[in-house]
Amino acid sequence: MKDRKFNSVIQTALALSLAMITHLVGAKTTAITNATVYTVASQGILEQATVVIENDKIIAINPEQFKVDETVDAKGRILTPGFIGSMNALGLVEVGAVSLTRDSRDKKADITFDASLAFNPKSTLVAYTRKGGITSNIVTPAGGDGLFAGQSFAANLSGDFDSVISKQNAVLIYLGAISSGSRAQALQALDHKLADLQEKLTTETDKKEKKVKPLKRNEQELKSLLAGQKPLLAYADRATDLLALLKLKEKYSIDLVLVGASDAVLIADKIATAKVPVITSAIDNLPSSFDSLHGDLSNVAKLVKAGVKVILAPKGDSHNLNQLRFDAGIAVANGLATTDAFSTLTANVADVFKLNSGRIAIGKNADLVLWSGDPFELSTKVDKMWIGGKEVSTHSRQDALRNRYTSKTNMPKGYVK
Amino acid sequence: MQNMPVKLGFMVAAMSLTVTACLPLEKQADKVSINKNPFPSTYQPLPQQSTLLTNATVLTGTGERLDDTDVLFVDGIITQLGVDLVADDVVTIDAQGKWLTPGIIDVHSHLGVYPSPSVESHSDGNEMTAPNTAEVWAEHSVWPQDPGFQAARAGGVTTLQILPGSANLFGGRGVTLRNVPSATMQGMKFIDAPYGLKMACGENPKRVYGARKQLPSTRMGNVAGYRAAWAAATEYKLAWAKYQQDYSAGNNPVPPQRDLELDTLMGVLEGEILIHNHCYKAEEMAVMIDLSKEFNYHAGTFHHGIEAYKIADLLAANSNCVAMWPDWWGFKMEAYDMVEENVAIVDAVKNSCAVVHSDSGTTIQRLNQEAGKVLYRANENGFTLKAEDAIKWITFNAAKSLGISDKTGSLSQGKQADIVLWNSNPFSVYAQAEQVFIDGAKVYDRHDETYQAKSDFLLGQE
Repeated sequence: MKDRKFNSVIQTALALSLAMITHLVGAKTTAITNATVYTVASQGILEQATVVIENDKIIAINPEQFKVDETVDAKGRILTPGFIGSMNALGLVEVGAVSLTRDSRDKKADITFDASLAFNPKSTLVAYTRKGGITSNIVTPAGGDGLFAGQSFAANLSGDFDSVISKQNAVLIYLGAISSGSRAQALQALDHKLADLQEKLTTETDKKEKKVKPLKRNEQELKSLLAGQKPLLAYADRATDLLALLKLKEKYSIDLVLVGASDAVLIADKIATAKVPVITSAIDNLPSSFDSLHGDLSNVAKLVKAGVKVILAPKGDSHNLNQLRFDAGIAVANGLATTDAFSTLTANVADVFKLNSGRIAIGKNADLVLWSGDPFELSTKVDKMWIGGKEVSTHSRQDALRNRYTSKTNMPKGYVK
Repeated sequence: MQNMPVKLGFMVAAMSLTVTACLPLEKQADKVSINKNPFPSTYQPLPQQSTLLTNATVLTGTGERLDDTDVLFVDGIITQLGVDLVADDVVTIDAQGKWLTPGIIDVHSHLGVYPSPSVESHSDGNEMTAPNTAEVWAEHSVWPQDPGFQAARAGGVTTLQILPGSANLFGGRGVTLRNVPSATMQGMKFIDAPYGLKMACGENPKRVYGARKQLPSTRMGNVAGYRAAWAAATEYKLAWAKYQQDYSAGNNPVPPQRDLELDTLMGVLEGEILIHNHCYKAEEMAVMIDLSKEFNYHAGTFHHGIEAYKIADLLAANSNCVAMWPDWWGFKMEAYDMVEENVAIVDAVKNSCAVVHSDSGTTIQRLNQEAGKVLYRANENGFTLKAEDAIKWITFNAAKSLGISDKTGSLSQGKQADIVLWNSNPFSVYAQAEQVFIDGAKVYDRHDETYQAKSDFLLGQE
């Protein structure tokens, strides 16, 4: 502790406001000391730093003095914000092919569909996903037969019953190639729906009638899109679809986020200028359709270089979401700067979905991961993690099975628990 | 109409000929035999260049790590591994700080049969029209222009087995390919590699055929289906043996009626075709082993083997290879009991044959990382594995599973020069294949576009 090297500028700044941290009565405080802190915030990377947690929040970084209930010596290891997954059905599915365990899709699901009601924090996928240093996740349902696929929600991975953070936080729509019909239909329908409601709202404002018919539920959701209150997450790959969406953003001032966006690299400058974030996979490089002929492992690096805010989402289903950190490593191997790679899994997600996490900064949720080494490396594991200030385990059902079958016993393994 | 008398005349002549041929003690008809290689390989190595790679960290594929070692290959064959090797008329590559491994082998791929782009017209990987389609051959579906082949090559994959899908009890023959650009499948075909026969346990066959209200709709239906087929194959084999015996005795027997489905099964019974069995669960693998003993063939390689760790001893005792993912799970019930140490637990038993496979156009590009994940997760939980152990799972053991370990899968004298030069330890997330050699010919170079092939399909796309 004595040889702690403070960054002098930061030390001065912090000293002004945090000369002394003492904990409130009843509050649990923890200090993680001697950590290499990747703040993913203005402070960048802090060496041999201290992060203080009180209850569920980060309350100090490198305070001059602190008195806490518990101290964790990081011994120089890397501390990052917990990673944030997105675009998957974690907690809405246990076994992919077992229909009774699937809740992400419903024929009747429309723009109002709130799948958070089905979220199961006790799913075995949740603990397994924590192994990837993922502390929260944007869960996206697969929707139904209509134009919109419902709405996403945010949940933390504590496994607690109250782990849904925010529900109905973005509207989902799937666009692009379809096996029956024309892609133009959905694009046009989206345009018309927005236009029609906009007109209705304008007309009603003009009428200034006392009794305006209340909006239907689906119209309320469209209205929130038009008001920019929540993002529209639009899945599309081909450049023409992405450009059409950029036009809709311009026309209606919606908060557009492109998802998948295989061709984004062809129009990266336009996307950057429009300040539209892109959620994509770092490893989806095969030309799996005529909509995605330009996949390349270097695309994420190219998008970021062009100034696009990128979020990394898994390519596969929810069960292996914890591999996201390796995808980030692959993106780095293919040209993405390491600091940017961290943003794609933390701050950028928090910004798009308005989460109070994704950075190590005062006032942020104490969603933190202490790693055994470089977080993107195959050889690294999570040594410790906290969600909302509470330390959580990465022990999963997989560990229980392994322990059973590697144990020595004269009895059948079924007796080993 | 005018031709009719002539045609009739032919028929009469043909009939009398047939009758004559059937009579005993007459002159023997030509002996009928089955052409076992009707679609022969036309593979030729790309332009070879004898090469000396110096001062590399070498993982041999057979459990050894050699530091600061030179590797020399001449005319497509590895001739020497050692220190300070000297050779004339060779290209020398300074591999200081870099790693050499055997070319990566994927025992389970659907490249070419389920290619990119994924369009109906190219969905040729599974003849899902009957529970036994042992008569179909995956090689007849291979589209050599699948861009996935190039992507896999950039990941160091030099050899791969293309298998039919898993909807059927018997899905048909697999084919082992060299990962070289070619206009034809034959131009990729691994010379003298044995054929594989894809079988499938569990959920897929019973789901696909059960939904059609036909056998199998249960796992016991699956096993009944296998047994009926092997019983028929046993008779077919006996019929051919009898024909040959009678013929050799100077008789003029009628050959058995040719049956393409049974040809393949007979190939297994004769030990010429290797079983590649999609089978996730412990209890099913154990049944498949007994089944193989009942009909006197070897149960081969279990693919996917999610629960292999539960019966690792049994699998090693029966000399089964098991091809596994490091961590895929949960997509169906039979994939629920995944453990990340599965490969390591199987590998730990004496005489085992643990293989890491992809079954994916994505992860085939990074089988090194797939193996790496197993290595590190296992070591976090009591194992003491090293890089030289992990490389076996995607090289030597894979070659063994495919019956080609006498030719490739290891860096040792006399083996085909199938080699990957990595920029770092291949079990790092940042590792990349810099150069890839097949039969001593450079087929990929990360830093030289002239060695980066492109599929016809992607050429000229804007």
